[in-house]
Amino acid sequence: MFNIKRRTCAAWAIAAALTASPVWAQQTLKIGAINPYSGPMALYGNEVTRGYELAVDQVNAAGGLLGRKVELVRGDASTPQQGIAMVEQLVSRDKVDLFMGTYLSGISLTASDTALRYNKIYWETNALAQSLIDRGLPNFFRSGPDGGTFAATSVATVRNLVAPAMKKEIKDLKIWLEHEDSIYGTSIAEAQKRQLEALGAKVVGVGAHSARTIDLNDTVLRAKQAAPDILINTGYVPDGNLLLRTARDQGFKPAAIILVGTGDTPETLQALGAASLEGILVVGYPRNDITEAYGPGNKAYLAAYRAKYKSDPVAPQGMTAYSGVQMLFEAIRQAGSVDPEKVRAAVAKLDKPENSYASGYGAKFDKNMQNVRAWVTTSQWQGGKMVTVYPNNAVLPGIKLGKLARP
Amino acid sequence: MSDLINVLVFGLLLGGIYGLVSIGLNLIFGVVRIVNFAQGELVMLGMYGSYYAYTQYGLSPYVSVFLVAPAVGLLGMAIQRLVIQPLHNESNMQIFATFGLLMMFENIMLMISRGEAKSIGGDVGAEVVTLGDMKFSLVRVVTLVAVTLITIGLHFFLSRTMMGKAIRAVTQDKRAARTMGIHVERTYLFTFGIGAALAGMAGAMLTPIYSITPTVGGNFILAAFAVVVLGGLGSVWGAYWGGLIVGVVEALAGFYIDPVLRSAIWFLIFLVVLVVKPAGLLGQVGAEEVGFREQH
Amino acid sequence: MASTNKVLMTYLFCMALAALPMLLLADDAHWLNILAFTYLMGGLAAAWNIIGGFGGQFSLGHGVFFAIGAYLTAQGVIRFGWSPWLTMWPIAAVAALVAVLISWPTFRLRGPFFAIATLAFNEVAFVLANHFDSFTGGPRGLMIPFKAGFAQMIFRDRWQYALLMFAFVALVVGISVWLRRSRLGYYLLAVREDEDAARASGINVLSVKLRGMAISAFLTAMGGTLFTMYLRFIDPPTLFTLPEVGVKFALLALIGGIGTIAGPLLGAALIVPFENTLRAEMANALPGLNLAVLGLLMVLAALFMKRGIVGAFEDARKRWLGQKGDMP
Repeated sequence: MFNIKRRTCAAWAIAAALTASPVWAQQTLKIGAINPYSGPMALYGNEVTRGYELAVDQVNAAGGLLGRKVELVRGDASTPQQGIAMVEQLVSRDKVDLFMGTYLSGISLTASDTALRYNKIYWETNALAQSLIDRGLPNFFRSGPDGGTFAATSVATVRNLVAPAMKKEIKDLKIWLEHEDSIYGTSIAEAQKRQLEALGAKVVGVGAHSARTIDLNDTVLRAKQAAPDILINTGYVPDGNLLLRTARDQGFKPAAIILVGTGDTPETLQALGAASLEGILVVGYPRNDITEAYGPGNKAYLAAYRAKYKSDPVAPQGMTAYSGVQMLFEAIRQAGSVDPEKVRAAVAKLDKPENSYASGYGAKFDKNMQNVRAWVTTSQWQGGKMVTVYPNNAVLPGIKLGKLARP
Repeated sequence: MSDLINVLVFGLLLGGIYGLVSIGLNLIFGVVRIVNFAQGELVMLGMYGSYYAYTQYGLSPYVSVFLVAPAVGLLGMAIQRLVIQPLHNESNMQIFATFGLLMMFENIMLMISRGEAKSIGGDVGAEVVTLGDMKFSLVRVVTLVAVTLITIGLHFFLSRTMMGKAIRAVTQDKRAARTMGIHVERTYLFTFGIGAALAGMAGAMLTPIYSITPTVGGNFILAAFAVVVLGGLGSVWGAYWGGLIVGVVEALAGFYIDPVLRSAIWFLIFLVVLVVKPAGLLGQVGAEEVGFREQH
Repeated sequence: MASTNKVLMTYLFCMALAALPMLLLADDAHWLNILAFTYLMGGLAAAWNIIGGFGGQFSLGHGVFFAIGAYLTAQGVIRFGWSPWLTMWPIAAVAALVAVLISWPTFRLRGPFFAIATLAFNEVAFVLANHFDSFTGGPRGLMIPFKAGFAQMIFRDRWQYALLMFAFVALVVGISVWLRRSRLGYYLLAVREDEDAARASGINVLSVKLRGMAISAFLTAMGGTLFTMYLRFIDPPTLFTLPEVGVKFALLALIGGIGTIAGPLLGAALIVPFENTLRAEMANALPGLNLAVLGLLMVLAALFMKRGIVGAFEDARKRWLGQKGDMP
């Protein structure tokens, strides 16, 4: 009797195992995308997610991931508390397997923390704060650049583009650093100051302003009086636009103006007009006018974006997100699972040289899981168009650095 | 020395902007006595309205203001009639309702515009006025002139016309005004309409200066309230001078102390003034209490 | 006046009712999270209600006290490893002291003027929090690493947090009940109804207002402590954004029924899960749809529930009793 029971049990077990496998293979792989989809950052949250969607479309067309179809589920979060709530919801209601995000650092902080409790990966494609990586969370990875990269590129722009164009040594240059006062602008400006002074340049002033300010006249007057050669502003679109307009009104014309982070979209072109923007440099995420050698597949991305969304990309953050997700998928394929530990091991082994992805990134993650081969580019407003001018191997043939400032 | 003059002028021009945004609020707050959180949104709608007039029909904001302001004014009257009026005994609920309106307007515009910042830009509004080696945006100078003219106009309206006098009467003592035969509800309706129209006007005139986003209204609302209270309730000139004072203080603090601490400094001064003279600089003493507890 | 026993029974019964969802949702982390937040916001709204509802002083600056609780607790944990259970009380006392200091001069303002002055405090505090970054971490904020332990007030499971927040709201509501029946409570109501008459009958109006404000600030700061230990991340936007914090406390009390005991928690129970659900359902649609709908519903709620949820219940009950015609 005992024997019969055991055999029956064994038969049931084998039958169950046989029926279970095909079911698993057909289950979709759900990914939760945590971003602000309402509120003032909705435009960028949405743009970043479009990058995710294009990467997902691509992987599904090639047979899915680990044999499963990938599905993206959005979780709207505009504050850190909402980040927690969204992760909880996506885990319990939608049963997502892993997470990606996030346009704002504060949301990423709490959301990734919550994802850890469920032992799910949080793949960060865009948020810049250093503290995200410094935590050393076992489930957290960042594929995109950090704030320090933006600072480093703005400094490199000064050194390699502006100084030679002005025929001056970097140590003879005077620079005014302006920034908006949240963690985004503050942290980048701090890094800029440090790096510029290490090179011997003179930072004649650092100014902070609220991104929601309605007047920058006193700020511009102060900057004007310091008579810098270069004005560098790290901020968002409304305050950046107001700064440029105010500078124009007051006749403040430094030899070069560099905008960091924003200022590369039609929003700024509309505000200032092509003539007033001529020559201004913008340090930002890699755009769609880079060479195919620098960013393989960036033209294909543009075409796919246009086909799916019937418009041009709104901001370059999307392509960075797209490339980042591709790295994630690569790691999952290598690991053969979405388990954070296995993926972490696979990520540590990733070694793609620079210029492997559409955004020009490579893939090499340090011990804290920050991709050290993610860079940003510098573009210049020329004739009402944003043209990539640095680094050199990203520049399309025939493009040259134009005059740096309005006469 | 020339620095000081430069900063003072900047302050006056900024004060003109504050005054323009506050003048409508002053009327509404003074008469209807509600903390209208949605006032900033009316400015925002005025901005979007004149932006669309510019891009679709090529109308300059100084022309489309004559269309936009009345349109926003009508919206204001609708708000008063449909939302504020039914809650006339529950002043706290009115606050709650205006907050709901704020969320509605902001997010409806977000749904429509998807959050992209819009500007009437290019070289419209790039003209400058030069004084020695100081340069000032022409648009801001025009704004200051405009708010001065509007204030004068409003002053005459309130002191010479029947409706204006009715408004002043209701501001001072609602019950007494009613016994004098003034139709209080109609006065409220009219006042809200004018106040909203002034907000729409402010939006249209500020369109050449700012990048328009759905949340732009929120940048002005706090300052506008403070200016209105500082200047003194029910006093048209109070809002005007209040705006100028706030603008100058803010510009001086920003230039000589620290731009980041700018708003904190003038808010502190605002608090100090309020504590010393609760009726505001130009308000009648006791005006801050009159009409407030009369809801029952 | 109802006997103490009856009041106590009613309080315990209502609190048991409020605790019920915790038991029903015991293994659903998602809803437990929302529940914990509901309790917390309910407690904060009830704390606001003490001065805003009972006292009639419409403060929109309670975010300042909330932030004091948050920042001091965070620094205590990060720099000294002090247990929030211990530091919570002196920190709340500091907040109460600050409340008294800043309210003293501003209480001579009435109604909307007082409200606007408190908004100014919130603004100033926001700028200062950004500026004094050695203390507050500035725009970077402060982060408390995860280290589960009862002493640290960091819990692994959501139901433990839900229980903690429930204890908080039970405490605040309990204090509200006691306060309402105390002499200070009656004075507060008298001041709310007619300040001049109250003064004329010998009440020290300023003292009453200050005491009410102190209690309210004390409890609000405690809420700030709990919030900090729950999120483990605070920065100036999280603490000072008015629609999320300072104004929200007032709004929840309003929609629930300002000045009532049950109102604040009912308001939180209505709004917090609802806005979460709206965001969840509409996240994939147009940006802003969920908040536009919420705004519209707020306007409708104001129009149709003029005295909040509690008021609506009372109206319904009166109408029902009136129809039956048997109650005098």
